Amino acid sequence: MWCIISLILAIPASAGAKKLPLFENAGACMGCHSSREADKVFKDKERISVFVSENDFKNTVHGALNCTDCHPKVSLETHPGRVFESKSAFLKDASGICRTCHTDSQLKAKPNHAYMAEKRDAPLCIECHGAHNVRRVAEWKASLQGNEYCLTCHHQNISKTLRSGERLSLWIDPSYLASSVHNKHACNDCHSEFTRDSHPIKIFPNIREHSISVSDVCRRCHADKYTLLKGSTHYNLSFQVGETLITKGNWKAPVCTDCHGFHTVGPKITYEILSGVPCRKCHEDIFKIYAKSVHGMAKANGVHRAPLCSSCHFAHEIKFTAMTDKIKSACLGCHKGVEGLHKKWLPNAELHLSVVACAACHAPTSEKGIFLQLIDQKTGKPFTQEQIMQLLGTSYEELSERLNAHGQGIDSYELSYIVKQLNERGSGAKVTYLGRMDVNRYSDAHQLSLKKNAVRECESCHKSDSKFFKRVTLAIIKGDGALTRYSAKPDVLRSIVSAFSLKQFYVLGSTRLTVVDWAGIFVVCCGLLFPIAHITLRVLTMPARKAKKLEELRKGEKR
Amino acid sequence: MKKIYLHPLPVRIWHWVNAVSFIVLIITGLQIRYREVLTLTKFKTAVDIHNFFGFLLIADFFLWLAFYVFTGKIKLYIPPLNLKKFFMGCVRQARYYGYGLLMGENSPHHATPDNKFNPLQQTAYFMIMLILLPFQLITGVLLWDIKMFADWIGLLGGIKVVDFIHVVVFFFLTAFLFVHVYLTTLGITPLEHIKAMFTGYDEVEEGGN
Repeated sequence: MWCIISLILAIPASAGAKKLPLFENAGACMGCHSSREADKVFKDKERISVFVSENDFKNTVHGALNCTDCHPKVSLETHPGRVFESKSAFLKDASGICRTCHTDSQLKAKPNHAYMAEKRDAPLCIECHGAHNVRRVAEWKASLQGNEYCLTCHHQNISKTLRSGERLSLWIDPSYLASSVHNKHACNDCHSEFTRDSHPIKIFPNIREHSISVSDVCRRCHADKYTLLKGSTHYNLSFQVGETLITKGNWKAPVCTDCHGFHTVGPKITYEILSGVPCRKCHEDIFKIYAKSVHGMAKANGVHRAPLCSSCHFAHEIKFTAMTDKIKSACLGCHKGVEGLHKKWLPNAELHLSVVACAACHAPTSEKGIFLQLIDQKTGKPFTQEQIMQLLGTSYEELSERLNAHGQGIDSYELSYIVKQLNERGSGAKVTYLGRMDVNRYSDAHQLSLKKNAVRECESCHKSDSKFFKRVTLAIIKGDGALTRYSAKPDVLRSIVSAFSLKQFYVLGSTRLTVVDWAGIFVVCCGLLFPIAHITLRVLTMPARKAKKLEELRKGEKR
Repeated sequence: MKKIYLHPLPVRIWHWVNAVSFIVLIITGLQIRYREVLTLTKFKTAVDIHNFFGFLLIADFFLWLAFYVFTGKIKLYIPPLNLKKFFMGCVRQARYYGYGLLMGENSPHHATPDNKFNPLQQTAYFMIMLILLPFQLITGVLLWDIKMFADWIGLLGGIKVVDFIHVVVFFFLTAFLFVHVYLTTLGITPLEHIKAMFTGYDEVEEGGN
């Protein structure tokens, strides 16, 4: 009786309606397929067992079917004869048989099958239901323990379409998960809203927002890293992870999963080798330069302590480094004692180390220039763009227009006028410019060379025709540490007009004032002309002196 | 004419150390400032030499100061309180250099160990030894280690101001050197005053005041 009921329930309508003629009885097939040693070899040499457990088969919903119902192309004349390229090709072909009875309309009736109905790359029927020991998924899935339950579906090549039309893969390779640092976690440690009883359907506008949302999960355990991240450039450029609020609209700025992946989060060592550096995904251009640098070459040669991106920029608390001492501190963190080494040969070494970026000398081919920064002499702190705009009562656009007038660069008058105005407008600060030498392009800071190639010639900088002192930039730091650069005219460092506002910036030979040079030439010429003029007069008046002497002699003789 | 002992040994030592230091400092200073024009040595060598002779000049200055202060002869450099008389003396001396000397007149000033300088020399040396040179030495030391003396540099108005003072004084001292050397040739013979700075004895006209 139960057999009849199960047949009615399980056998698809089409199967019942059009019973295939028996070609042979199952006994003929089982003559071979009951052997556990029986297998099939594919062209790629992969093997698959062709053993069929008759007892198991009879207890399935397909127990009443004949072998040829599902394998209609098999005949004693031709079998075994069909050759497949690979196991996957064979399984795909075999699974296609299921659709003979289980039509699209039947599949679409259930949501979990509806997805597969029209997908060519949908998981194969037998992947979930088995080949001969066909079972309803619910029958066996409930007995699965831990993550196996979720992976039943998610180890399949499943995906979903987002509102943007992008497809989000939901496939998880169990081997990746097993090798990640999170391999002891249950799926719903992170995906807490998903349980055996609850599988909410979450629809994201696009893949990026999915990443942002998922990254929020990480902070539950990694609060310390989140705190560091919160003050970082990446965070401020992108969004507030907690509120998933895009603040600056830079969707490319990385979130946790961009560097660590979703289910493949590796141990720390993963990111400490050249091939594992996640930064290169976005900063490939800089990474290529780094790879050719003394640090990159050392790393490639197996020097483990050679620095990678995070050694200088840190992993999570990545900050803007321009016009700061952050990179210098990173350099000195590894190169201990270099201050003493510089003092051995470099006059005013301490000063050089404080106003010349390490890369300016140690990346000898880099393009260097002078960066001027508005600072408060009392505190030594730089004025931010916001402070300048507030004190000058101007907007960002007006300030930019003013500082980049006609696109020709700031001239000496404007440079000194800003300082004058900032000092006058009651800021209470002693505003002045502080200058430092740095590389002009961020990428240049990464092409550090061997010590023997570093710039040691003082003449590179200390001469008036040094090109570095003609590339002048006014660098204004924003509140978040980002830098806005405004080019200045090449002559500003040598102009008397801006001399007062630049009174804290002086470089031997390079920033001398042109007007002082001319005044000096005049003074020295005066000193030189005095003897020349006096000697000339003495020569010209020689007859007068001779006449006087003769007169005196005559007077003497008379006496 | 008579010979008088005008320049004691410490003064002569001071003078020649001062002279050599001045010349070396001027040459190396020019090279440091105008590297693209003057390339006698490497920049760093010029800086090292400049620093060495700078400190030598400082030591020499204190030798001079100690000698003149402890012997009480510092008053030779200090103009008298009677400024009117002093001013008239300057005018007379200027007239001599500008006219009297050319016409064959005798100098209105006759050097003695206690009154070595004529009013114009006194003014010039007062300015040089007690104002310009100390300024030059102080600014030189500040520029020698900018980081160490950052606070002092700040008090003086910034590094550019310190450099400006150092350079301007440098120009004046260089100009003075030409005038000074020329004036030393205006003795009884062109080399008389120079010889005196080696021997200590200078030939002066008798009956001088």
